[in-house]
Amino acid sequence: MATLTRQDLNFGQVVADILCEFLEVAIHLILYVREVYPSGIFQKRKKYNVPVQMSCHPELNQYIQDTLHCVKPLIEKNEAEKVVVVIMDKEHHPVERFVFEISQPPLLSISSDTLLSHVEQLLRAVILKISVCDAVLDNNPPGCTFTVLVYTREAATRNMEKIQVIKDFPWIVADEQEVHMQGSRLIPLKTMTSDIVKMQLYVEERAQKAS
Amino acid sequence: MSRDGWRKKASDEDGWGGRGGYMAAKVYKLEEQFQKDAPREKQKEGMSSSIFSGVAIYVNGYTDPSADELRRLMMLHGGQYHVYYSRSKTTHIVATNLPNSKIQELRGEKVVRPEWITDSIKAGRVLPYHQYQLYAKQKGLSFPSVSRQNQEGAARSTPLCNPRPSCGNSSTQIHPENHGPVSRKNKDFVLTNGHDHAVNGALKPVEVSRLRTSSPQGFIPVQNSDGRRRLEPPASSSLQTTIHSPNHTGRIWMNGSNHSAGPSHNPSNHSGKPTACGPDAGIISEFFTHSRLHHISTWRNEFSEYVNSLQSRRQATGGAVFCGKDKLKKLLASRVSAVSSMPAPQVRQSCILHVDMDCFFVSVGIREKAHLKGKPVAVTSNRGPGRVAQRPGANPQMEFEYYQQKRNQYRTAKRDCDLEMTPSPEDIEIREQNRRVDQDLASLSMAEIASCSYEARQAGVRNGMFFGQAKQLCPELQAVPYDFQAYKEVATTMYETLASYTHNIEALSCDEALVDATSLLAELGAAPDELASAIRADVKEKTGCSASVGMGSNILLARMATRRAKPEGQYLLRPEEVDDFIRDQPVTSLPGVGRSMSSKLAALGVATCGDLQQVSMVRLQKEFGPRTGQTLFRFCRGLDDRPVRSEKERKSVSAEMNYNIRFTKEAEKFLTNLSMEVQKRLQTAGLKGRRVTLKVMMRKPGAPMEPAKYGGHGICDNVARTSALAQPTDRWEQIAQEATKLFHAMKLEVTDMRGVGLQVQQLEGLHTTPQDSRRHIRDLLLARRQARPTNPSQVELHPLYYCKMIQNDVLRYESDMNQEVLGRYLINYVFSIVAYCTCQVDHSVLDALPAELREQVEKSWIRRGHLPNDVPCPSTPSRAPSSLIASEPQPAGTLVLQIPNQHGPMGSTGIVLELPDFSQPMEEDILQVVKYCTELVEDKDLEKLDLVIKYMKRLMQQSVESVWSMAFDFILDNVQVVVQQAYGSTLKVT
Repeated sequence: MATLTRQDLNFGQVVADILCEFLEVAIHLILYVREVYPSGIFQKRKKYNVPVQMSCHPELNQYIQDTLHCVKPLIEKNEAEKVVVVIMDKEHHPVERFVFEISQPPLLSISSDTLLSHVEQLLRAVILKISVCDAVLDNNPPGCTFTVLVYTREAATRNMEKIQVIKDFPWIVADEQEVHMQGSRLIPLKTMTSDIVKMQLYVEERAQKAS
Repeated sequence: MSRDGWRKKASDEDGWGGRGGYMAAKVYKLEEQFQKDAPREKQKEGMSSSIFSGVAIYVNGYTDPSADELRRLMMLHGGQYHVYYSRSKTTHIVATNLPNSKIQELRGEKVVRPEWITDSIKAGRVLPYHQYQLYAKQKGLSFPSVSRQNQEGAARSTPLCNPRPSCGNSSTQIHPENHGPVSRKNKDFVLTNGHDHAVNGALKPVEVSRLRTSSPQGFIPVQNSDGRRRLEPPASSSLQTTIHSPNHTGRIWMNGSNHSAGPSHNPSNHSGKPTACGPDAGIISEFFTHSRLHHISTWRNEFSEYVNSLQSRRQATGGAVFCGKDKLKKLLASRVSAVSSMPAPQVRQSCILHVDMDCFFVSVGIREKAHLKGKPVAVTSNRGPGRVAQRPGANPQMEFEYYQQKRNQYRTAKRDCDLEMTPSPEDIEIREQNRRVDQDLASLSMAEIASCSYEARQAGVRNGMFFGQAKQLCPELQAVPYDFQAYKEVATTMYETLASYTHNIEALSCDEALVDATSLLAELGAAPDELASAIRADVKEKTGCSASVGMGSNILLARMATRRAKPEGQYLLRPEEVDDFIRDQPVTSLPGVGRSMSSKLAALGVATCGDLQQVSMVRLQKEFGPRTGQTLFRFCRGLDDRPVRSEKERKSVSAEMNYNIRFTKEAEKFLTNLSMEVQKRLQTAGLKGRRVTLKVMMRKPGAPMEPAKYGGHGICDNVARTSALAQPTDRWEQIAQEATKLFHAMKLEVTDMRGVGLQVQQLEGLHTTPQDSRRHIRDLLLARRQARPTNPSQVELHPLYYCKMIQNDVLRYESDMNQEVLGRYLINYVFSIVAYCTCQVDHSVLDALPAELREQVEKSWIRRGHLPNDVPCPSTPSRAPSSLIASEPQPAGTLVLQIPNQHGPMGSTGIVLELPDFSQPMEEDILQVVKYCTELVEDKDLEKLDLVIKYMKRLMQQSVESVWSMAFDFILDNVQVVVQQAYGSTLKVT
C-alpha cells in the first residue's frame, strides 16, 4: 500500500486537478440550473457518466477557467477552505450561495486502484444533486449575476498576491455585502468523503428572494 | 567508470558522452600523475609510510586541511587520491560539510572528516573510520573525541584503547556486519552517562563473555568502561550497555548501569547488572528497571496503593490499630492529669498536615555516614571531580544559552522542592556565578544533583543543578551515590508511621504526604502542633531522617506552611495569619503555577499572591481560561477545597523514554517495544484505555546534534498526537499499531528523535461495564423489564417509545459501529421488546421501525408461530436477550424508566399526567440526539444531519403525542443554534 502525503508534490496536484475539474463542471451546472444565463448558451455534455450542461459562451468559459486556475494552487496547498458560487440579484445582494466546503485529510493515502472510480462516483452524486437542487430552492428573481468567492485558510491571500498565477486576473477581498445574507437558510445538498478529499456542498438561500 | 551517477550529467553536457570517452581518459591520466608524483613527494618529505594502502579518497568541498594537502598526505602514506569520485574505486569520501542532496546520494558510502586522515597518520595506522563519519548513519552517534583524545594523549590512554596492529591495512574492509567485536575494543559505541555502579572488576570479563555468547548476530550488547574513566577515582568505573536491537531497525542506548532496581520490578535485574535481556521488550523494561526518575515516579503510585490497601484492610478487619495515635493519646492523657486545667479542645475546623522529609535523598544517603553530617552533600551519580571531556557534536554552550534565555523569559523563581527535575538551576545569584564559569562549563559534569543538603544550598547549590557546576560553587561538596533500596525503606517507614496515626493520607511522592488530621485532632482533643511534633519525633526515631510538617486549614496552606517549617521544623498557619502570610508569597509557590504561567502573570505585573489578589476573577479567567482562572483566584486568597484523597483514580498509563534515544532508521520497533511496556503497566493496573497518545521529542532545528548532557535529549520540540480506539484495549499489538500510525502521520525525521512516549488515556477497569452509550439499549430493556406493567392501558406508549429510543441509538451507533453488527444487535432487542408487547402490539411500533427490522420482526413471529394480537405475553422474550438479561441482574442504567403505579392519579388516561415521569429518561436521550447532531455539524456532514432531522421530524410529528413534537422542536432549536454558529445561517427544514 502506497502512502502518500501532501508533501508528495504530485499528489496535491492530482487532488487539485480533480477538484478543479469538478468545480468547473459544477459551476456551469449551477449557472444552468439556477438560470443565471439563458439556457440557450448551454450545451449538453457528458461528465462523470451523467449528462451535464456546459456553457458555450467563450467569455464566460474563460472567466470560469481563469477563476479556477487561480484556485488550483490554493487547493494544492490545502489553503482553500471554501469555494462559493454566489448568485446575486440586480442590486448585487446575494440570493443564493453554493458553498463547496473542502477539507483535505492531513494524511493522504491511496489504498487501492479503485480510488479514482470511487471518487468519480462521489463526484457524480454531487453533480446529480446539483442538477436537481431547483426542487429544494425557490426561484431566483430575474436578472441575476454570479461571482465566485474563495475562503482561504490563514494567510494564504498574502501569498496569492505575491504569486499571481494569471496576470490581469487579480483577486480582491470580497465586499461585505456579497458575503452576507440576511436571514439565510441552509440547505445541505451533499457530503462526500473519500480518501483524498472531504467535501460538502450546501446552499445558503436568502429567505425572501423577491425583495 | 563513466557510468557513475555524479558524472552522468557532465558527460551529457560536454559532448564526450560516450563510454570510456574523455572522462575516463582524464581520470586515468590523473591517476597516473598521482602515481608518478608520489615517490617524488615521499622523497621530499623524507618520511613516508604505506598505512593508507588500499584507501582511495575523494575530497568533496572545503576541508581543513585542504584538498591539496590531503592529496599530498595520501601520496606520502600510500593512499590514492581521486579527483573524480568513483563509486567502485573510491573507498572514502572526505568532507566537512555536505549539502543534503549529496548526503542522500552518498547514503551507504563512507563519508569521513579529514581528521580521520590526519589522526591516522599521527597514530601510524589506519584508524577505524566510524568515529570520523561525517553523518553517522546507521551508527547513531559517533564519538570521535574519545579516540582522538587517545591519540593525543597516547601515553595515558586507557589500555582498552591500545592500537590494534592487526587492522593495519585492512581498515577499509571493516563493514558494519562484522564490527561487533571490533567496536568493543574500539569504543566507538561507548556510552557514558555518568552513572556509576561499583562493579567488581573480576566480574567484568565474565559479563562480557556471557553477553557475547548470548547475543546472536545483530544483537550485540557492548559493555565497556568509558573514556572518562581516567578522570575518575579508580574505584569507580562506569559500566555501559549498548544494545543493538535485533535486525538493526532501531538502536537504543541504554544506561544499564547505575543502581539496584527497586524490588517491585523485575527482581532478576536486582543487582543492576545488565542482563542479556530478551531482545524485544527487554530493552525498554530494562531501561525502566534502571531509570531513576521512573522509580521515583512509580513510588508515588505505590504509596498511593499502599494507603489504599491500608484502607481496605481496615475495612476488612473492621478496625485498625493506630499505635501512633494511641501513644499520643496516652501522652496527652498523662499531661491532662498533670495539668488539670487543660484548655478546651480547639474549635473543630479542618486541619491538614503536610509532611515532607528534609532533603530526603541526602538525609537517607548520609544516615549511616556520620562524618558527612553537617557538610555540604549532594546526591548525584557523578562522583569524580565533576569534569568530563567534551564530546564533539555537543554544544553545551549553545544549550546553556538556550536555557538561560528561556529562564530570562520566565521570571526566575526559587523553587524549593526536594527533587527538582528540571535540568536548569534557577537563581539569580547562581546565574551570576554561572556566567563566571560558563567558559568551563563545557568540561563540567552534567550529572544532575537530585538533592543537596542545606549546607550545600547555602553555598548556592540547588537541586537539579549539574554536578560539575555545583562543584565549582562549593568545592568541598561531597557526592553521595543513589541508594534506591534505602530510599524505599525510609519512605515505607515514613508512610507506616503516618498510617499509625490515621489512614486519611494522600501520597504525594516518596517523601511527602498529606494527612487530613481533622477528625484525628477532634478525637484526641489535641492541638495540631502536638500531633505534628509527635509525628516528627516518630519519623525521626524510626527512620533517622528529619521531617518537616506544615499545617493549615487546607492543602494549599499546609504546603505553604511547610516551606516556612523547613528545615526540620513545623509551622502552623493559623487562619488569622493566612491573609498576611499569603500576601507575601510568590505566585510560583502556588500549585500549578510553573514557569509559563508565572511569566504570563509577570506580564500582568503580578509577582506575589498579594498582587494576584488585585486581579479580578474575570481578568484571570480571560487570561487563563475559566477553570484555571477561578483556581488562581481562589488559591491566591488561600482558598482551596481539594480534599485529601487517599484513593486516586489513574487518568492515564504511559511509558516514556527520553534518555539515550537515537534512532537511525526506523523507530517502529521501538514503538512496539514501548507498547509492550505500556501493556505491562496497563495490565498491572488492571486497566484498559481507549485513547492512545504518542509524544515525541524532536531535536530543535539548529540545536546541536549531540546534547551537552550525555545521552540526554538536549533542546527539543515536543510533538504529540492522539487517536481514539474503537474499543478499550490493553493489548500491545493494538497500541503499537495505533502508535505506528500516529508516528507515520507525523512524518518525522527519525534521526532527530530524542524521546518517545506512549500514553493511554480514558481508562476503564477491566471489570466495569463499558461506557454508557453502548449499554444503552440493554439498560432500557432491563429497566423496562423490571417495570413490567401491571396495567396494560398505561403502557401503550412504551413500544413506540422504545422504538424511538432505538432509533436514537441507531443514530448514535451509525457513526461508530459496523452496520452488520448493529443490525444483529438491534434485532435481538427488538425481538425482546416486541415479544413483550405482542399481546397488544401497537402497529405504530412496527411502522416506526426501519423496513428491514420490521421485516425481521415479523418473520420471527411467524417462525415462532405467533401472530400479533393473539399471543399472550410471553415470559421469556427471545433467544439472545433472555440470557443477556438473566446474566446481568441490575445494571446501573443511565435510563430510569418510571412507570406510574396504580396509586398514581387515577381517572386519567395516564399519559398526560405521566409526562413529567417520561420526560426524565427522554431528556437524556434528547440531549444525546442533540450531541450527535452537533457532532455531525462539527464533522461537516450536513447532509446526514439534514436527513436525521427530516426523519425525526416526520417520525415525531406523526405521533399524536405533543411530547414528541416538543422534543423535536427542542432538538431542532438546539441544532439550529449550532448550525448558526458554524455556518452563519440556519437549516431550512421542510
